[in-house]
Amino acid sequence: MSAATSVTSDDVRAVLDTVPDPEMPPVSVAELGMVTDVRVHGDRVEVDLVPTYSGCPATAVIREETARAIKAMDGVGSVEVRFVNTVVWEPERITPPGRRKLAEFGIAPPGSGQTLLQIGRRPGLGQPGETQGVVCPLCGSRDTVADSPFGPTPCRSSSYCNACRNPFEVIKP
Amino acid sequence: MIDPRVELLLALADDELIIGHRHSHWTGVAPHIEEDLAFSSISQDEIGHAVVWYRLAAEVAGEQGVRDLATRAPAGGDHADALGLGREPNGYRNAVLVERPNGDWGYSLARHYLYDVAEDVRLTTLAGSSWQAAADATGALRREERYHLLHARTWLDRLANGPLDARIHLADGLVAALVEAPGLFEPLPGEAELVADGVLPDDHATQQQRWLEAVTADLEAVGMDHVLGGDPHHGGGEFLATASGELVARDGARAPSGSGDGGYGGRLGRHSSDFDAVWEEMTGTYRAYPGVRW
Repeated sequence: MSAATSVTSDDVRAVLDTVPDPEMPPVSVAELGMVTDVRVHGDRVEVDLVPTYSGCPATAVIREETARAIKAMDGVGSVEVRFVNTVVWEPERITPPGRRKLAEFGIAPPGSGQTLLQIGRRPGLGQPGETQGVVCPLCGSRDTVADSPFGPTPCRSSSYCNACRNPFEVIKP
Repeated sequence: MIDPRVELLLALADDELIIGHRHSHWTGVAPHIEEDLAFSSISQDEIGHAVVWYRLAAEVAGEQGVRDLATRAPAGGDHADALGLGREPNGYRNAVLVERPNGDWGYSLARHYLYDVAEDVRLTTLAGSSWQAAADATGALRREERYHLLHARTWLDRLANGPLDARIHLADGLVAALVEAPGLFEPLPGEAELVADGVLPDDHATQQQRWLEAVTADLEAVGMDHVLGGDPHHGGGEFLATASGELVARDGARAPSGSGDGGYGGRLGRHSSDFDAVWEEMTGTYRAYPGVRW
């Protein structure tokens, strides 16, 4: 370790922007809004994360990958990564670059129309003619139906686009 | 003497773990793929919530406390795994209702609905706890539970407004589940202390009343409130069949005298024979390879 090197929390946050989410690899844990606090004390780094969903099985991997990436930084002696629940994760925490990458990955990011349409209203559940209106991330159409409020991971639901005839996933509101 | 806060958390966690395990039995065999996905996803959520409560329970109980509870767990292992998988059957505090097999679609949905309304009531109660760690934990859980209630209420509507056959299956399921649902509100050992300290802002009797009001409103809205009298088809009879075919006395629904009566006994570690099958399956790997990591 070089005595001249000292790490700042901005340096750590830059690295967190490169740690991929194991289940949505184009998007980093920072872009998903999982980082709630970064503290640097000399060569010791502490990172607080919040899981997107409590039942997310990827949290253990995320903790390990995050610690590994920070440990590899010059000037870092020890790392502690912990999950906290004093902050509740919400899709609105996903950053603008994160939202763009999710859309490119085929997942409708928050702000695609799901908030008003899915909560407080009975879902269409694929009934003919009932358009849900979440913007299809693949073709941009709003002629889409909700297939299920659930999806392949706890944070995603399933929809279908009548225009381009593709199934797609939606970040749950 | 176990810390009453640990009793509270184990009751919450064990309910979640066991119903999550039962829900997972629909994985691969649900009536259609969206429901396969729904029950699998809800199952994953519930088991994740159990882990949240087990971790907090372990913080309160400490290393030795976990060891005393999880007699089958090896030293130094993960505390959530130890509490979830390392206890003897009579160490689990889940309500009898959640250990019952899924039965048919009507019973599965009826139990899912009654359970998730109960969970909503108790998380809302705990959100006002004087114990900050417990109150904090409810934030994410309540956010996630919205989808479970949405799913359950969608199906309640759908079956109740469906053909006669659907109404009959739903009514039978509701009656069988309602018999044992009071067990979800069985008083905990040390409950008075929890209430006095504000850890539990309202006792379980109060929570049960709130739950019943919510359930009654929903059932009236879909024209199924006759099941609240224990009457699926406006018929009579002295006994009611549970999902497993056990017969329980009609007036036993609120008698706190052991497993089988109103679904009581679970909070004291007394379970139905259905629990053995869940326990065997759920802990099989952990027992074969003590302390195994996933």
